[in-house]
Formats: sequence, C-alpha cells, structure tokens
Amino acid sequence: MVSCAILKWRVDSPAPSVDAVLSDKSAQMTPKELEESLKEDIEKAYDPREQAVDVLYALQRQHGHLSDEAMREASRLLGMTPLELDELATFYDFLYREPVGKYVIHVCDSVVCWMHGHQSVMDYIAERLGVGLGGTTPDGMFTLLPTCCLGYCDRAPAMLINGRVYGELTGEKIDRILQELREEEPPLALDR
Amino acid sequence: MHPQVLLQNFKGNRSASIDEYRANGGYEALTRALLERTPAEVEQMVLAAGLRGRGGAGFPAGKKWSLIPEGAAHPRFVVVNADEMEPGTYKDRMVIHVDPHLIIEGVILTSYAVSAEKAYIFIRPSYESSALILERELEVARREGLLGQNILGSEFSLDIVVHRSAGRYICGEATALLNALMGKRPNPKQPPPYATEKGLWNLPTVVGNVETTACVAPIVRNAITGGSGEPAFTKLYCVSGKVKRPGCYELPMGTPLREIIEEAAGGLPEGSELKAVLPGGVSTRYMTPDLYDTPMDFDSLAKIGHRLGTGAIIVFDQHTCMVAATLNIIQFFARESCGWCTPCREGLPYIRDILTQIESGEGKDEMIPKLRRMSEHLWRTYCAFSPGAVSPLESLLTYFEDEVREHIRMKRCPFRK
Amino acid sequence: MPKLIIDDREIEVPEGTRVIEAAEHLGIMIPRFCYHPALGAAGACRVCAVKVIEGPVKGIQMSCMMEARDGMVVSTTDEEAMEFRRFVIELLMLNHPHDCPVCDEGGHCLLQDETVSGGHAHRRTSMKKRTYRDQDLGPFIRHEMNRCIHCYRCSRFYQDFAGGLDYGPLRLGDRTYFGRFTEGRLESPFAGNLIDVCPTGTLTDKPSRYSIRRWHGERGPSLCISCSLGCSTVANAYLRDLVRIEANYNESVNGFFICDRGRFGFYYAKHPERPRRARVDVSEAPTPEALREAAKRLARIAATHGPGAVACIGSTRSSLETMGALVRLCETSGWRKPVFFSDPAMQRKVRTAVSRIDKRLHVSLREIEKADFILAVGADPLNEAPMLALAMRQASRNEAAVAVIDSRPVVLPLDFERLAVARHDVEACLNVIMREAVSDEDLKIAIEKLPGGADGAASRAADFYTGIRNAGEGLPPEVRVRALKIAAQLKAAHRPIIVCGVDAVCETTPALAADHASILSGLKERAGIFYILPGANAFGAALLSSPIGEGASSFFEEIEKGEVKALVVVECDPLGQFPDRRRIEKALGNLELLVVLDYLPSETVKQAHIFVPTNTHYESGGCFVNQEGRAQFTPPVYAGGEPNRQETGGAHPPRVFRSHIPGGGPEPAWKLLAPLGAAPRGEAPELRGNLRSILDGLHPAFEQLADSPIPPVGERPSTYYARFLAEGALHVGSLAPQDCGALAFASSDAGEKAPGVGKDDERLEIILTEWTFGSEELSSYSPYILQAEAEKEPCACMQTEDASRLGISDGDLVALRSAGGGGLTVRIRVVENMARGCIILPRHGRLAWQDLEPSPVQASVERVKK
Ligand SMILES: Cc1cc2nc3c(=O)[nH]c(=O)nc-3n(C[C@H](O)[C@H](O)[C@H](O)COP(=O)(O)O)c2cc1C
Ligand code: SF4
Ligand code: FES
Repeated sequence: MVSCAILKWRVDSPAPSVDAVLSDKSAQMTPKELEESLKEDIEKAYDPREQAVDVLYALQRQHGHLSDEAMREASRLLGMTPLELDELATFYDFLYREPVGKYVIHVCDSVVCWMHGHQSVMDYIAERLGVGLGGTTPDGMFTLLPTCCLGYCDRAPAMLINGRVYGELTGEKIDRILQELREEEPPLALDR
Repeated sequence: MHPQVLLQNFKGNRSASIDEYRANGGYEALTRALLERTPAEVEQMVLAAGLRGRGGAGFPAGKKWSLIPEGAAHPRFVVVNADEMEPGTYKDRMVIHVDPHLIIEGVILTSYAVSAEKAYIFIRPSYESSALILERELEVARREGLLGQNILGSEFSLDIVVHRSAGRYICGEATALLNALMGKRPNPKQPPPYATEKGLWNLPTVVGNVETTACVAPIVRNAITGGSGEPAFTKLYCVSGKVKRPGCYELPMGTPLREIIEEAAGGLPEGSELKAVLPGGVSTRYMTPDLYDTPMDFDSLAKIGHRLGTGAIIVFDQHTCMVAATLNIIQFFARESCGWCTPCREGLPYIRDILTQIESGEGKDEMIPKLRRMSEHLWRTYCAFSPGAVSPLESLLTYFEDEVREHIRMKRCPFRK
Repeated sequence: MPKLIIDDREIEVPEGTRVIEAAEHLGIMIPRFCYHPALGAAGACRVCAVKVIEGPVKGIQMSCMMEARDGMVVSTTDEEAMEFRRFVIELLMLNHPHDCPVCDEGGHCLLQDETVSGGHAHRRTSMKKRTYRDQDLGPFIRHEMNRCIHCYRCSRFYQDFAGGLDYGPLRLGDRTYFGRFTEGRLESPFAGNLIDVCPTGTLTDKPSRYSIRRWHGERGPSLCISCSLGCSTVANAYLRDLVRIEANYNESVNGFFICDRGRFGFYYAKHPERPRRARVDVSEAPTPEALREAAKRLARIAATHGPGAVACIGSTRSSLETMGALVRLCETSGWRKPVFFSDPAMQRKVRTAVSRIDKRLHVSLREIEKADFILAVGADPLNEAPMLALAMRQASRNEAAVAVIDSRPVVLPLDFERLAVARHDVEACLNVIMREAVSDEDLKIAIEKLPGGADGAASRAADFYTGIRNAGEGLPPEVRVRALKIAAQLKAAHRPIIVCGVDAVCETTPALAADHASILSGLKERAGIFYILPGANAFGAALLSSPIGEGASSFFEEIEKGEVKALVVVECDPLGQFPDRRRIEKALGNLELLVVLDYLPSETVKQAHIFVPTNTHYESGGCFVNQEGRAQFTPPVYAGGEPNRQETGGAHPPRVFRSHIPGGGPEPAWKLLAPLGAAPRGEAPELRGNLRSILDGLHPAFEQLADSPIPPVGERPSTYYARFLAEGALHVGSLAPQDCGALAFASSDAGEKAPGVGKDDERLEIILTEWTFGSEELSSYSPYILQAEAEKEPCACMQTEDASRLGISDGDLVALRSAGGGGLTVRIRVVENMARGCIILPRHGRLAWQDLEPSPVQASVERVKK
C-alpha cells in the first residue's frame, strides 16, 4: 500500500476576514433597521418559513435571548404563530428561550473531549465563574452550558463561545480566554 | 506520494483563494461542462465514477441524482449537508476551510446535473467561521460570474445560499434537514415520497454531503480533460482520541486502519496501547485490535459487519473504560433524539440509566441480557438515528462483555481508583 | 386488489389499504397509539409492530406504515413481534404516573388496555420519572402532561387535520412537551376532539372531571342539534345528570369528530334554572292540570273569536314528532297552520333549498372532503355549521380549490379565494364564475341532461346563460379578476360542490345556487349542492310549513290587528331569538292567552300565562332531518328528571322530601300537544310515539321514513344502544326526492334590489349573523361556552373604508340606529376582508340585537362619546 510521505492536514480555523464579520448585520443595528433588513431577507426567501431560524437568531442577538416579546416580534415578521416558532426555538440548543449571559460558553462533552478530560474543563470553568451548569454569572457576563461534539475533536478538549471555538484547553488557557472576554469585545460575536 | 485531491490547495492557516483554486485547474470542469456537456452527461460522469456518498450511508451520488423523475417539476433544489455533527467528525469543516471553491464548484456542477435553480448549504452553528468563509467566497464567485443568471454565458442560472442551523444532531439526517430548512420541526420523514421527488416545498431536491460534493468537480474535470487519470477516490479520515497527531488526513479510499493510525496520525502516545477504535463516528461499532489491518472502505468494513460511517476514527487506549465511553455516547444520543418515536425517545434514556448504574457499581447481572435485547429493539425505530446510537452499545456487549461484568462483580468501575 | 394472509387467514383488501387496517377487517385489532383512521399513520409509537414473513421487507415492521401487498404473509402473534410490542409499552410506561384511580380516562383508556393486553404489567425499573408542568388550556380541556405518551395524535389532529396553530409539540427527545406558547384557551373550535383523540388521560374533558366513569353511567348514541348538520354524538349521563358528550363515528356525516359547540353546548339540559314544573298564571301546577286549564282557555277563545284566533309557533330545534304533533293539533282544532320560522322570507328560502336537493345533487358532509372544488355562496361555515369548515379543510388538504363569495369577514382553517361583496352582488359573482367556467358547448351538453327538459327548464337555462353574459359588469375590477381565477379552477374541477347558506343571502340565491349546480352535474363526474339551514330540524320544518309564506312575524301582525288572541309557543323563544323585540313584547302583552311548552329557562317562558315543561331530545329521543335531508333518529339516553347533584348537592341517595317523584316530570312535547286540542275526546289522533302515525299524510317525503324505532322509555336499553353504536349512524331515511325537476332560473336574474345605500350614505345595511360560540340558542345556556366566549367581547364588523369614511376606528363603541327606531350600542371591529356598505352583527347573547327590526335593515352609525 501507499507508504509515502503523508502530509499532516491539520488546520486551525482561519480567522475570517473583516468584511465577512461586517456582514453580520444585526450586531449594531437599531431595532427599526433590523426589522427592515429582516423583512428584506424574508421577502427574498423562497418561502418566509425558510427564514424562521435566521430571524430568531437575529432577534436573539438583539434582545440577548428569545424573550416572549422577541418571539412575538418574530411571529409578526414571519407570519407564523408564536407557538409555531416556539416549536423551533425550544428544539434547537443554540436558541435560548431563557436569559443568558453576554457570552455563552458551550463546553463539549462528547466522547473525544470526554477522553481528553472535558469534565475537568467544565469543573474548572464552573469553579472560576462560581456558577453551575446552566448558570449565569451575577454580572451577566457568562453562561455555562454543556454541548455535544463541536467538530473540533482534533483540538480536544474544546469549547465554543459566541461562535468562536477554543481548543486544547488547559486551566491557564481558560483563564486567559475568560480574562480577554471580560476586558475586550472580541471581533467575532456570533450565534449567541 | 499519493495525489491530494480534496486538500491539494492547503495553504496552512488560511483558505485558498479563487485564484489559487483556479491555478490548480479549478472551475475548468465547470466551464467545459456548461459549454460542452449536457446535464445528463455530467450526471453520467459521476455515475460512472461510482462516487459514493460520504455522509455516512454510502449511497451512490450519481444514482441519487438520477432518481429525479424525468420531467419533474421546477424549481429544483440542491442541498449540501454541512451539518456534520457526528462526534469525531470534522472533515467537512476541513474542506470548507482549505478550499471553499472546491465545494462551490461541486454545488454548481451538481445543480447543473439535476437542473436545479437554487442550492442551500446547510451548516451547523459551531461552524460559524466556515459559514462566513463560504459566504465570502460565494460573493467572490458571484462577482466572477460563476453564480447568478446565465453562468459563464450559458443558459444555466443558479444561486447558492448558506443556511445556518441552530443545532441538534438529528438535523444532519437528510429528511430532518429538509424539514429544518422549511422552518418546520426537524423530525425525520420516512419515504415515500423521496426527496428527489418531493423534497423542499414538495419539489425535487438532492441532498449531498460536503465531502461528496467536493469530489464532484475533480471527477468531472478528469472525465472531461482526461486529467491525471485517477478519479477523486481519496477519503478524508479524521483521527482523534488517543493518537499522537489527531487530524484529518486525505488518503486513498481503503487505506488500512493500521496505516492511518500508525503512519498518518503518528500512532498512539507513549504508554498507550490500542484497545478499540470507532471507525466512522459514534454511530458505528467498536473495532478491536485484531481488525487493525482492515482496509477502510465501505465494502471491506461491511463484509466484516462494520460500517465506514463518516470515516471519523476515534481511538481508545487501555486506560479507557469502555462502559463509561459507551455511556458518554448514549448520553449524547439521548440528548439529541428528536423524540418522534418511542424506542429512541424513551429507550435511550433507559439505557443511559442502566449504564449509569453499572458504571457506578450498582449493576446487576440481568442487566446484560436486558441491554442486549434493548440494543436489538432500538433498531426498529423510525429513522437511522437509533440504530446508530446502539451500535457502540451492541459492540460493547459483544467485545467487552467481560469488562462490563467486571463492573458488576467489583461493584465499581475498575478504572477508577 | 391485493390478497394477503394475516395470522393464517386470507383477506383481500382494496389497493392502498394498510396492514393494520387489513387486520381490522379480519377482526384483529393490532395495538396502536399514533395511528388513527382519520389522521393516518405516523410510525411514531411503534406499538403496531408485526412480523412480516413474506413481503417486500421481511421481519419486524410497523403495520401502520406498510401497505398491504399481494402475497404478503403477516403474523401478529409472532413471539418476536409480541416481545417488541411489550417493550414499547414498557418504555411508554417508564415515566407514566400510574395514576389511573384519579384519572378521568380510566376505564376507556387505550394505554390501560394496551398495557394490560400487551402483557407488560410490572415495572422493571427504578428510574426517576420525568415530570412536567401542566398548562391551563381554557374551560374545555384539562392538561396533565405527565400522562403523555408522545404519540403525536393531538398535534397531528390539531395542526394538520384542524388547522389550529396554537398548540403543538415543544422541545425534543424525552423532554418533548405538547402545549401552547402561553397558557390560555385553545383557539380552534374543534379542540374538544383532542379529548377523544388522545389515547391517555393527558387531555380530558374538563367540565366533567371527576364525575363519571365511562362504564358507570348511562351511555348512548345521540345527535347534536346545535346546527343543521346533525353530527352524531355519544351522551353520558349519571344520576339523572347529563355529564359528557363525545363524538360518535358517523360514516356519512361527521366522521370521527364534532365541534366544541356540539360537545360543550348541552348544558341547557341540566341548567339549574331549567323549568321543570308546570305553571298556571303564578302558581305551580301538575302538568295534567296545566294542560287541562290551557285546553279549556284555548277552547273558550276559539269559541268566542273563532278558531282563527289561536295561532301556534314552533321552532327548528324541535323533533319531527313534535312538529308533526303541532301540525296535527292545529289541523284537528281548526286553528291557524303553525309556523316554524321567524319570518316569511326565511321560510321561503328554506323551502326553496329543501325543494332543490335531489338524489343527483345531494351531497353528504363527508363527500365534501372528497370534492376538488368548493364554492361557498353566502355561507360562513365556521360560524354557521362549524364541522362543515373542518370537512372543507380536508378537501383543501387534498388539494381542492376553495372559494367564498360572501359579505362577511369569513374565516376558514384553510387557504381560500375570497370575494367579499355585498349581499346583493353575491349572485352576480356566482353568475360570472359560472358563465366563465361553462362554455357554450358545455352548456348545450348540460342542458340536454337537465331533468324535466320538457317543462321548459332547458330553454330557461339557455336564456339565462345568455342573459348573464355581462353579469360581472357592475362588479369592481379586482373582484372580477378573482372571479375569473375561480372560474378557471371550476373549469378544471371534476367534483365541484356549491355550498350555499340561507341566512345572509337574498331570497333568490338558494335557487340560483341549485340551478348552477344542476348545470355542473351535467358536465362533471359529480357535482353537488350543500345548504346550510337555520336549525337542526329546519329541513323537517320546511316540509311541514305551509307553502304560503308565513312566519312568526306574520302572527305578531295578526295579534296587533286583534285577529289572534291566543298563542301556543312550542320550544321556541321569540323574545330571545327574533328581531323586533319591542313589537313582540307588545304583541305578547296584547294576548288573552300565552301558552308555552319548553325545556329552556327562556324569557318567553317567563311571560307565559300557562307553562308546561317538556323534555330535551336526550330524554325523549326524536327524529331530526339535517340540511341534506337525512332523517336521523336519536334514542333517549336517560330518563331525565332533576339531576341528583342539583337536587341534593350530590348526596346519594337523595335525602330530601319532595311532593313530586324525583326523576319524574316532563314529557316529550309531542305527547303534551294532543291534550291541548279542541277535538272531541276520541277523535284526537293517536300519537303513540310512532313517527309514521304522527306524520302520516303531512308530506309525501315522509313516506320514505322507516318506522320509528323509539325504544321503551325508562329502561336502560344497553343492547338497544349497542346496535346504534355498532351501526354508527341513526339514519332512518333520506327525505331528498329522486329528482326535484324544477329549475327556477327565471326568477333569479335580478336578485334583490340593492338597498338604497349610496357611497356617501351614513347608513349601512345590518347583516345579522351567527358566531361559532355565543349566538346559537341552545349552547348559549352552557356556562363553559359562555366562559370560553367571555374573553372575547362580542362586536360588529365594519369594512376599513366605511370605517374611515365615517371616522370610526377599531374598538370604538358605536350606536346603530335604524329608521324604525330600533338600535343598539356595540363595539366595532374594523376589518379589511369584508364587503363595503354593511355591518356584520352577530346574534350574540350579550348584544341587544333583538332591538333591531327584521332584516334587511339599515342603520346610521354614530360613535358614542365617552
Ligand atoms: C442521525 C443521522 C445523522 C446524520 N448526520 C449527517 C451529517 O451530519 N452530515 C451528513 O452529511 N450526513 C448526515 N447523515 C446522512 C444523511 O442522512 C444523508 O444520507 C447524507 O447527507 C446524504 O449525503 P451523501 O449521499 O453525500 O452521503 C445523517 C444520517 C443520520 C441517520
Ligand atoms: S429514531 Fe425516532 S426519535 Fe430517534 S431521531 Fe429517529 S425518529 Fe427521532
Ligand atoms: S400505530 Fe403504527 S407506529 Fe404507532
């Protein structure tokens, strides 16, 4: 069989370029602008329902979480009932129907990270933040949640914070990440 | 050296640009196909190449396309499945990050072959950076006239959009994915009708995995240009777990397991001995060291009762408790089950409960036959989720029964002090 | 037709039959939860597993998901299949609270049955049970999520079948929850079916909680008389108390379901104020004495002023027996012929409708589901006959096109094309559509096939079609465009049905609808006409009323003139149910004698000089003819009497002393009528509850009736009921003639003249209409219906443009004043989707709509300043 030089194809996630980050429109929009832009997207879609998750994401970013009010707003925009949207919002784990912190820390607890000690990562973060699983720090900065395999098993143990993956976690690294997040807005603030 | 096809444009810590992609023959296939070949011919090329789906099931891609009935309605859709939530799997992310245009060209060719007007790339939330890369490069392709109306001056028009999912493993299942795309609850839907007849909005739809789609352009290019002769039959193997160099490796389809682990991934770390391997993500059966020389392809594995799955190899060493590992996997499935059918919805938590008892030293002998019966019963579910979920369990009981019994006998986990 | 073998027995079934259904034909009930004949298969519960020994896919398979194939061999008793089914039951019971002793479903619970019969009866796990928080789903349905087995029947019924979008599955996996976005009443008027559809105690009948076990009470087939469709129900009574109504399967009418008006509207039968003792002037009297006194006074008046001084008013909610007895009473006594409708126009419309249904055009409610095109003309199904809307939805789910021509803001649980035009433009729209959909050649073919071609119908039809060539000219362009689109759909259809109301339409519309349906029936595979009539027995009433247009209003005129001195009102409430209340009050005040027989605590009852209580159909049974001419007999379910609960506060046996026999009392109205008559003893017709003897000779249609099957009252005739339950329907005959022959065409071209409402006129036409809840007479006595209605203030609807012209905005309180001096104050809802120039006013119990004169009435509208 082939036994020639085998390249190691291990890729760290490249940082997306700046214009791509800017394409995340909803981050800095006023509610009015956001509504207009969502309406436009809905208009463009093959069917408004296709945009359901996108609209929920956008409103989640704006409201911090999907409050009942945000759900009703989505319902108005999409012409679906709040219940129809709640059927979706409560299904998916990246849509939050309860208040969450500014940063949602999803720690992977699937088998590869498990092998690489996800439990201690989780415990470590919990201890550092002083919250349990599912808890939010009193300053409203962090929420800690377990999540299933992030697709970064080559860098286990891994976690995902607001669209950004952090791998090969150690206590030190976690401290640094938490510190950074506390101090400055990272360039990429997505999918919360 | 073996030819790299899917990852040939690897540029270190960034994605290949469209120019870099073109420099290695990118978009040649598309240009020639649009101008010189009919859709049916393109479909025939892929059919002839025998490309099998890389999403897990291994269904021939060309055959799937041909299932769209003659004269079926329009618009038609192509959906690229970038949900990739099978634990241990990250090959799709790798391709997107390394060479986004490889996928874009693949989608356009697929759409051309089935005469689709619109394509979606359905992507999981933890791949947000991948989604942004794709969106950026789609815009580039649009500017270059590779997307939109009358692509490259041909009659063919297509738009591709990135659709962000909001999580949940079941969304990767093709029919659940289509429901998710339509803003419905992502429960699977048993055919008939098949998606190729009535998929998105009841219109003909083809769903293909990212890696599958990435193989299309190289196949068509070779078929048209006579290329390097060899079609794109490499496979992306993701290796993780107890190995020195976890990573994604492009190797010829059918490379033996030993070679992938020992050579590509650098073998196990010092002091580790191979105990078990999941060959294709957590919905496949554990393989034991005696199967170390098995060629890693669909048929070789099927012959010995295993599955290639996604080709995501997870390596366990002698320090790993297989009961605990299986418990972790069952926990994953119990949490991700959509809840449509009874055996999966209620059975997985039931199994989780029994495994938890065994792991914590409260196990009883009668639990073993009970688990065995349950793993059989959980094959009789509505979709393939649950049969996948119990594959590790069933193989645990087949290959590691002694270890399970040890837990029960010692009234504790033997791996815990 | 595939032939297969199930459990060693061969059976041949129609193509497309599922294995679970094929087994049913053999009497083998394969366990099931998610499968339901009306909802189809979902493959979710997995309890219907069987072993396929021969077939396309062998091994354990779900019998609900598999179509029967030729040569299949299936075993339901295979050990492996049974073990799997047992396992599924075990899984379903893992989290179940095992609270059968306090669960209302206990005793008729599918989960109980399958658990016991499946052989999984012992808990093998010590797992912690999952618990949920319940929601308040309103006054009708009780939610107990812990009992849920996630079969998805509820959401599939609620969303897919009934089109409700406020209840469904939330979350996922073993946390899946069935509920609403927020607590509150389920919006769909079909929500009550969730009680029947849910195979566990998760969704149960809230008003009847803790009051009965299904096997415990008296239980029998019955009929809903809250609209003209005549849906089959099952009534449950216990200790002289009617406690619960369920849907009864009826192949031809309602299928498996009923609406909430029918399910929760029966409380009038146990209303605490239901008058149960006869009264003469101000004092109670035994029924025979009251009857004697009434007969005496009636005889005196007839003797003094002539028999024409006595008039009788019945209603469309009475049984055929009662109506027949009333007609006979008047006949033998020489009094005026009784009336059953409020006004002559309504009587004429219903008579026209009834005369136009024949075997060719006749369609049942269930056939609506199979139509591929439905055109509703002057009909508001959800409000007038709710189950019709559900049937239309099924047609629509099967890709039928649905269109509605009506002035009201019609809402349906389906997508439809709307022509919101004024009442007097409805016919023009219908004509445009027909003219466009029927080519000249088609017309010729159709005319040849018309029945009674010889009597000139053919030439009338031809002339008529020529005459409507330009029918659309007066219509607004956007209406015309839409009409053309509808016409194209009609043209392509094979099984079109015209649905036609009689309440809010011009007098000629019902006939015109039938004429057009007649033309269609000559062209299409099948075409039909489906009327909505005012009242459960409006069809029977039409057959029994005189061809001379008379209505109750004619009698009030006669009273004013002094011609009529005595009025006998049978199961009717003119004061509460008819317009022009002041006039009726005055008229009643002028009477020398008012005799009222009824079971409702109505206003008219209070005004009576002599009152005699009657029975409801739950107690006496009776025959009712629904809007398609289907005569359905409903047997008595219980003997009646004052509910134990009311009499003694629930103590049993009752420990109170009374001068009357508990449970005795009222009798069916038809039995009470004969003694009122003036005919000398012995000459009174023999009315022994034999329907034929009562109706003999009153109308030729009645000859088609089977002999009355009234069972002996006072027994608990369970075997007797079992027959009805097994047969599924109480059909005793169809009163639709073979062929009605006559086509009107000639009279219908002009329609009613548009009322003189100009564009700038301040006056609008008031269209009185029904609401699903709150306007129908019987169900308005139900506290649960009232509770459900309470959240929603009854309001009148007005078109956006009219509102802005008159400076009225949504939610304003306005005063409506008619020229005749009538009027009321009502809140306005401004809506886009209705005709201009009118106000839609529900005959709602909480609105004083009776203060208006009879329609058509125009009123000025003025905002009420606060
Ligand atoms: C539970 C379940 C999860 C799946 N997840 C994925 C996935 O994440 N990505 C994927 O490409 N295919 C996934 N599949 C397979 C898809 O159903 C489908 O077969 C595939 O996307 C088709 O693409 P292919 O023919 O190119 O392999 C999953 C299947 C099942 C049963
Ligand atoms: S096996 Fe059943 S419950 Fe599980 S994911 Fe598939 S359909 Fe949903
Ligand atoms: S009845 Fe067949 S799966 Fe539920």
